[in-house]
Amino acid sequence: MVRISRYILVLTAIIGSAVALPNLYWTIMEKPVNSPYVMYSIIDKGYMIQRSTPAIVRQDTKGNSYTREEYEKKLPMMFYMQLASSGTMPDSINGVEMDMHALRKARSTYRYQPKVRDSPQPGLYPLFESESGRVNLEMPNDFFRIQDWMVFIDAKSNSVDEAKSNLFTAVLTKRGFEFPARIIAGLPTTRKSCDEGYLVSDAKEQLFHLKMVKGKPYVKKVALPDNLSFKWIECVDFSNKLYYAYLISAANEVYVLFQDTYELLKLPVTGFNPDVDELKIYGDFFNYNVIIDGESYLKNITLDNKFNKVDEYAEKWETKYQRTEGKIFGAIFPFELSLKSDNSRYIDFRIKYSENFYWILLSLLFVGAEIYWIKRMKNGIMDHLADLLIIAVTGIFGFIAVNIFQNKFFK
Amino acid sequence: MWKSILYKEWLKLRWIILISTALGIMAVGSLFLNVQHDFLFMGAMTYWYNTLFLGVQYFHLLKYVPLVIGIAIGVAQYFPETVNKRIKLSFHLPINENKILLLMMLCGTTTLLVSFGSMFLLFWGLSAHFFPQEIVYGAIVSVTPWFLSGFVIYFFISLIVMEPVWKYWILYGLIGYAFIGLYLEPSTTGGYEPVVLKFALLTVLLSLSSLFSAYRFRKGEM
Repeated sequence: MVRISRYILVLTAIIGSAVALPNLYWTIMEKPVNSPYVMYSIIDKGYMIQRSTPAIVRQDTKGNSYTREEYEKKLPMMFYMQLASSGTMPDSINGVEMDMHALRKARSTYRYQPKVRDSPQPGLYPLFESESGRVNLEMPNDFFRIQDWMVFIDAKSNSVDEAKSNLFTAVLTKRGFEFPARIIAGLPTTRKSCDEGYLVSDAKEQLFHLKMVKGKPYVKKVALPDNLSFKWIECVDFSNKLYYAYLISAANEVYVLFQDTYELLKLPVTGFNPDVDELKIYGDFFNYNVIIDGESYLKNITLDNKFNKVDEYAEKWETKYQRTEGKIFGAIFPFELSLKSDNSRYIDFRIKYSENFYWILLSLLFVGAEIYWIKRMKNGIMDHLADLLIIAVTGIFGFIAVNIFQNKFFK
Repeated sequence: MWKSILYKEWLKLRWIILISTALGIMAVGSLFLNVQHDFLFMGAMTYWYNTLFLGVQYFHLLKYVPLVIGIAIGVAQYFPETVNKRIKLSFHLPINENKILLLMMLCGTTTLLVSFGSMFLLFWGLSAHFFPQEIVYGAIVSVTPWFLSGFVIYFFISLIVMEPVWKYWILYGLIGYAFIGLYLEPSTTGGYEPVVLKFALLTVLLSLSSLFSAYRFRKGEM
């Protein structure tokens, strides 16, 4: 029993040190790795790149450097306010007259982050009145959930509104909805231009548009091609009211769902892994810059305003583990344990093994030191075999653990 | 003999059970007084909204309460045993030494269970009164590791207080600090969901930890 208690403590020490020591190492040694900012220039029909470390550098893909003012002139769709203010905004681009109102209306910004998807979802959402006749949206008094049926819960009394729940459940059922909902996506805020309700994916991966119009349910089933299902949906509220949402399919394709027509369009975006990559989509009057931002790579796929591919730029760089400080890390630590991840808001034990095997040398050195110590204390090697094995496998963590909680049962 | 040992533990723990449970219940009560106040002033709908979408954690003040109770019970139970090495008297009784220690541990753990259990049930019940199941579930998932941290620190205190060699107090303390930090990692509401059972298992395993330093104590490790 006492020996078991020791091994439990050794395990505790390995877990504690495998979290704390790598964390300490990276706090001291980590250097920032900023991905470049790459945007398509409608003037040059090529890419402009801004790098922020160590100093800000603005270049094109040929290596020509630009001042801040020159750089902004190359990206007039992005800096039109600044250019207009300084009087350097061109009157027309590509034969199209520049109208500030039209430029502003065409602008859109979207950012997908893996951690937003891999996080606890609210489960309850407010359903706004879409046609209240009021200028501003008003927060309702209840929230809904869609599990075995659609339930509205009044916040003040924390009780179910049976009549409203039955009404919405009946309409959903009539439209072919299969309970429970897999994904409920919307903009649960009053800070939007208007309300378009929610896009809901049901248990059979069918897609529905759900909103409340004058107190009544509006449910529209979206026609999906065979075998198309979505793992993530994010609704948007852009000025041009072109589409409801960006949708990521099970096959990691990116779609948009057009407003009113409910037509789905697959964007020509490849190489996107929503588990680890961020996706940024910047829309302007002429183009969409679709940027896949990974840990060690960036890809800008530029589309025209009809979503056809225009050009593509890709760049790679070393991860922190491939740089000198990462290689030293790999020589010291066989693995690192962390509870948090950049790609998730869940807490869990996440083990990342060393990318090289130099740590084995250090482990063998620790095993040698332990054997030397055992001999010096005139103990038998066989009595410490388990400890030596722990050190060999867990390296520095095991060495610390077995020496803090020492094996002295054989003295 | 067992009754006498139980009586000794009762003498050490009776006031601390009462005080810690009362303070714990007051802490939970005060949380919900705040909730009730905010419901009145900002409305239940806004409060629910802030909890669901803006990351407001109505239970955040509870975070270190189990930790403090764990320290108090651990010190109240084990510190008197180290004064003049009184624990050695227990080890001279004609009963298995490990069993005595495990009984002591059981008494302390039961005390924690009573204190934390009453807090936890009150927290659960009042949460269910004010909030829907989604918010209650997220809150329960979030506070469970905090309650477990109270057990973990109690086990580490028993380990440290019984350790005869002072330099190991520091080393055990460092390991305990790193380990308990895992249970208190800041997280979004409900974010602990994948790890709660793993933490619970590690906590149960750690309940055996004081056997190790007690072994060193009675073998006269210097």
